[in-house]
Amino acid sequence: MKSPVKSELLKRLFAAQGEPISGQDIADEFGLSRTAIWKYIKELEEEGYEIGSQRKKGYYLIDAPDLVNQGNITEYLTTERYGRIIKYFTTVPTTQTIAHEDAQNGAQDGTLVIAEEQTAGKGRLARPWTSKANRGIWMSLIIRPDLAPQYAPQLTLVAAVAIVRAIEEVADIQPVIKWPNDILINGKKVTGILTELQSDPDRVKAIILGMGINANQQQSDFPEELQMIATSLRIEKGEMIDRAQLVAAILKYLEQYTDLYVEKGFAPIKILWESYAAITGKNIKASMVHETVEGIALGISHDGMLELQLADGTVRGIYSADIEIKN
Amino acid sequence: MLKIQEIREIIKLIDQSSIQKFSLESDGGKIKLEKNDGQAVTTVTETPQTPQAAPTPVQAPAPVAPAAVAAPAPTAAPEAPAAEVVTDETLHKITSPMVGTYYKASSPDAEAYVKKGDKVTAESIVCIVEAMKLFNEIESEVNGEIVEILVQDGQLVEYGQPLFLVREN
Repeated sequence: MKSPVKSELLKRLFAAQGEPISGQDIADEFGLSRTAIWKYIKELEEEGYEIGSQRKKGYYLIDAPDLVNQGNITEYLTTERYGRIIKYFTTVPTTQTIAHEDAQNGAQDGTLVIAEEQTAGKGRLARPWTSKANRGIWMSLIIRPDLAPQYAPQLTLVAAVAIVRAIEEVADIQPVIKWPNDILINGKKVTGILTELQSDPDRVKAIILGMGINANQQQSDFPEELQMIATSLRIEKGEMIDRAQLVAAILKYLEQYTDLYVEKGFAPIKILWESYAAITGKNIKASMVHETVEGIALGISHDGMLELQLADGTVRGIYSADIEIKN
Repeated sequence: MLKIQEIREIIKLIDQSSIQKFSLESDGGKIKLEKNDGQAVTTVTETPQTPQAAPTPVQAPAPVAPAAVAAPAPTAAPEAPAAEVVTDETLHKITSPMVGTYYKASSPDAEAYVKKGDKVTAESIVCIVEAMKLFNEIESEVNGEIVEILVQDGQLVEYGQPLFLVREN
């Protein structure tokens, strides 16, 4: 939560429309030192606001960050259902938990939960996910496709294809997909997808697609242990991208490809997925709970399973594993 | 069921003969051999005789011809069902709605969703089945008590495979 002083500062900066406001006046009003006010200004800059200062006159707003709020996303949105309801938060522990509860409470197909910052973002098996404020895209989409639960896992591959298409379109960068749905640029992770299913025995009730996209982080925004394995679109492209525009593009392709999958099955998605895949022909190490196998990736099966040819020539189908590309 | 030595002997004999196609059915086992331009094609089909024995994949013996046809090994032989408990037809089976990996807890450090003897309601989450990073929280669907857990943490489970037995209230 923003402190009341910081909110007030922001309100006045916006109201002044680029004209300077006096830090001294606000300091006096709230009984704070000018240094305290300066610290709040620094925090706002951290959040993406560009603020100038003029001697004797005070602070003035140059530019506000590209927030991923409803107004900014809707401006670009071309979908019929996805993202037509948006729940926007400044900071949350994780959008996934909120979306889960909303889905249980009957949220409509295509409802989007999105936040500027996650304080407890999570990946597979509750692994932590770094979600810096105003830099990335942290969102969970609730969808209700008409599918039997055994056909739901393929939607994680559908999501990967949709996000890659959107990145191509908006950022003009060519990412690749690592099975099943990590998205990499130059071998570093730019997007993670976590999908959760609520289902009856024979029908999907809701799927919650959790997506973390490293959009506008700089190298120094990543913790040191991630700098070698994570990247952002900004780092790769060399310029900021419009996050709201990217969100709208992702929603467009997600809607299009989910509908395609429900109508035509996995075959067309398989072709798209393989055209972006980074692993065919590569030497892969697949770590599962009780064993680890190594082999050459042949591609994916008709239902999206990873097929590895082992040293003895047999083909092994992998449904869930951590994948490491050896060469 | 044919022994591996017997199958090997049959292949040898057929290979030396002018016979192009051969099939034999004996004791619930079935063997089909076919020669195709000097390349041998071997298919071995098994019919398991007794339900308590999980079928063991038979490695096809190396045919004389250079093109070896490896029998596609199933990714994991399904665990033999716990026969002594399954016989109680009054128990409700919670089955897996999809192929994937069975997890007893939400993360490796977390406590298991349920233990043997736990009381569950229809909405209780009993486990997670994961495939391709899609996590499916499996609900009990009935009110009752977990009397048996039929699978191990991290095991690959098939579509429709029983995971738990529940005595309904």
